[in-house]
Amino acid sequence: MAIGRPLSRVEARDKVTGAARYTADTRLPGMVYAALMSSAVSAGRVRAIDTARAEAAPGVLAVITHLNRPQWHSTPAALRYVETRFPLADEHIHHHGQYLAVVVAGTREQAAHAAGLVAVDYETRPAVPTLDAALPDAHQPVWRFEPEFPTLLALGDPEARLAAADVRLDLEYRTPYNSHAPMEPNATLAHWDGGSLTVHETSQQVHLDRPVIAGALGLPPDRVRVVSTLVGGAFGNKTAVWAHTLLAAVAARQVGRPVQLVVTRKQVFTCHGHQPPIIQRLRVGANRDGTLQAITHHTVNGTPVLFDRPEAAISPTGTVYALRSVGVRVEVAGMHMPAPATMRTPGDGPGMFAVGSALDEMAYALELDPIELRRRNHLAVHPLLGRPWSGKQLLECYDVGAERFGWERRAPRPRMMRDGADWVGFGMSSAQRLEHHAAARAAVEIRDDGSAEVRTAAPEIGTGNLTTLTQIAADGTGIAPSQVDIRSGDTTLPESAPTSGSRTTGSTGTAVHLAALRARQAAARLAVADPRSPLHGLPAERVGAARGRLYDVDVPRRGETYRDLLRRNGRRSIVEQGFHDPAGADPRFAYATFGAHFTEVRIDDTLRRVRVTRHVGVFAVGRVLNPKTARNQAQGGIIYALGGALMEDLATDPVTGRFIAPALTDYHVPVNADVGDIDVSFVEEPDYNAHPLGAKGLGEVVAVGVHASIANAVYHAIGIRVRDLPITPDKLLRP
Amino acid sequence: MLAGGLSLGAGLAAPPVRAEASGAKPEILTLVVNGDRVRLEVDVRASLLDTLRDRLRLTGTKKGCDQGACGACTVLLDGRRVLSCLTLAVMHEGSEVTTVEGLAEGDRLHPVQRAFVDHDGFQCGFCTSGQIMSAVGLLAERPRVTAAEIPELMSGNLCRCAAYSNIRDAIEAAAHLSREGE
Ligand code: FES
Ligand code: FES
Repeated sequence: MAIGRPLSRVEARDKVTGAARYTADTRLPGMVYAALMSSAVSAGRVRAIDTARAEAAPGVLAVITHLNRPQWHSTPAALRYVETRFPLADEHIHHHGQYLAVVVAGTREQAAHAAGLVAVDYETRPAVPTLDAALPDAHQPVWRFEPEFPTLLALGDPEARLAAADVRLDLEYRTPYNSHAPMEPNATLAHWDGGSLTVHETSQQVHLDRPVIAGALGLPPDRVRVVSTLVGGAFGNKTAVWAHTLLAAVAARQVGRPVQLVVTRKQVFTCHGHQPPIIQRLRVGANRDGTLQAITHHTVNGTPVLFDRPEAAISPTGTVYALRSVGVRVEVAGMHMPAPATMRTPGDGPGMFAVGSALDEMAYALELDPIELRRRNHLAVHPLLGRPWSGKQLLECYDVGAERFGWERRAPRPRMMRDGADWVGFGMSSAQRLEHHAAARAAVEIRDDGSAEVRTAAPEIGTGNLTTLTQIAADGTGIAPSQVDIRSGDTTLPESAPTSGSRTTGSTGTAVHLAALRARQAAARLAVADPRSPLHGLPAERVGAARGRLYDVDVPRRGETYRDLLRRNGRRSIVEQGFHDPAGADPRFAYATFGAHFTEVRIDDTLRRVRVTRHVGVFAVGRVLNPKTARNQAQGGIIYALGGALMEDLATDPVTGRFIAPALTDYHVPVNADVGDIDVSFVEEPDYNAHPLGAKGLGEVVAVGVHASIANAVYHAIGIRVRDLPITPDKLLRP
Repeated sequence: MLAGGLSLGAGLAAPPVRAEASGAKPEILTLVVNGDRVRLEVDVRASLLDTLRDRLRLTGTKKGCDQGACGACTVLLDGRRVLSCLTLAVMHEGSEVTTVEGLAEGDRLHPVQRAFVDHDGFQCGFCTSGQIMSAVGLLAERPRVTAAEIPELMSGNLCRCAAYSNIRDAIEAAAHLSREGE
């Protein structure tokens, strides 16, 4: 079996030798370079734009602005474009950093220089700079596309239940702008061949990009090819077609040469998504026996002035703990901000910070151990759907985590644990993430040299899917993983699920599994029908496959290799398709992944700097396909959320709303020295109700609940409850 | 000045440009890159990073920020680890540059590369060339580096996938190996 083994990544060698090719590494003959010029104001209008000096600069081939851009076709709404306005649509400015011009030149230096020569005469209008300033505009969102979650909901009678509860809490939590900050900036290489366009793009979802690009340019989708082989991290910021892609495509058409456009780091921060600021008000009621009675969760998040984009911070509220009644209300408030994008972990990340912190506050109010409070409100059934969870090992996660962490050493009250100059605190939270599905297709080919090839479009963004999909195909065909090749990241391949939302394992993995089984079965049928085969005449179900060989399961010695079978029959290969249909999920169950986090923080009494010295994460995600890559991804998810808890804040100017320092020098993400001991383990129980392989998504659940676990540990250490992230030392400078 | 113009005030005209700053007059430069002597004409504004990537087609070295903040562009310059985005190519006439492409000997990976594979010291791999070059430089500076020192000494290299624990383990293992080899 290849599944379950800690195999090294199939692309590991390429990644350590520099041979791995990312979008910006791709070169084409005659390629030229584009650079984007961004608005310096947050709201207003371009009164005049002077491109003469840019056009006259050495090497410049084209300068495109709203005045001379080619026609856009279709509408953003029809295409599910990330904004409601195509780039360079008109002279109006709706957010700082908005692209106002694209410059194409012979070299990178010439393009960047000329972009700086574009002079704009702005008419500036006052901006709505912050969420607080936008609050008077708070309103229930109008969904642009079909609703993804309810924005107003009351089950039972939360007000009456709250009024009747023994203990009531009314709490406000805040999270700031957070940035995905993948190490690879978004990039495009666009190139036309007659009326057909090829776009090399930093994308998590080539097939979803294609109709957007094609529609905006007025092309039939089959004239657009999107290629995204290796992606240098994404975390959600590559789940949309952004302006730069469309601009690179029109620039390439205009100059008649391949155009590479790599956005600057500053532009990644401004124009390629972020998680917007969110204010959450939670009211929780519980009785003295520790039973939760009611919760209301009211959220307001910032949204661009042009359209409503709710952040689903309410998603954990009604489904994680047993509650008599639940009320949720989601609102948005318009700000002059660039478009947000889903960010690891959308909704559940900020939502679980609030819910997991509020539970901790309630545990102290009731003088209960935080784990005990959670146990008393454990849910075996999805409360809104009324269906049992297909596989929920949350209680085991608490047990394993508490044991590995040493939770029994926890002092019952805050400010009781001290080690020299450090206050020491323990915190915990649970994690939950609903399991999402998407349609997925894959092909598996068994070749006459005994090897196999997997083909499915899913780009590799670092999650290890090239490796896990290879393992799945290896087991399905009975061919060693070293003999299995994989091709991915291209719209010419079968359409996978997008590599986002933890869908790869369940959806794309299932498609590969089905394709591999069907290829093996087709080979078995060929063998049993072939009088020259040692398997001739057997029922096809009696044919097994292992080590590149088909055999009789009752008499394993009897059999032959794929190679012999195919060569004798003059077949170059056998190709079969697999299709994962999300509608096929068993409707008797509800599906999710679960986990528990435990954090130890140390806080220097003078400096009040928080260090996470130990963190234990235990996860129940069904079967673990590859413990090596899974452990790495889980540690990464924990550290990603640690950044949000302790340091990440894309600070804004209170007058203009501009990001003050959109750079990695000032937007601090965790560095090596910020990271203590991160212990990851799994409660591994295959969930065959969820997927035929028994494996569920991993990448998102691991980052859910970490913020709360850390904030709870901080409170335990020094008795200060921080409800607005990040937990920076200034918020702890009280005695 | 980078594209983007956010650092310019509203409505300000762009600063005047001198002729040589517009890239009209290239310079001739000689470098020794991964052991090969190369001579090329470079734009005086071209960073060492862009020169390696765009002109010498050595795209293993990555650009994560172009601002000296991420470490993805780390190379060895005359044996020392430097951020190649923060230095202009023309400043390094005659220098020796080692990039990630220059570490392996044929099919034989450098011990640090081998250790990164074995310990899964990456996810997306975009920071990896920089991490590896930085680790090679670190081990040259301090062959006796201890496990406790590695996190601080590697904190100039960001990894947003946060494979930090594995990166440490890989460097520690490589340090052991090279000490045993002494
Ligand atoms: S690209 Fe040089 S430090 Fe980031
Ligand atoms: S491996 Fe993705 S940034 Fe380090």
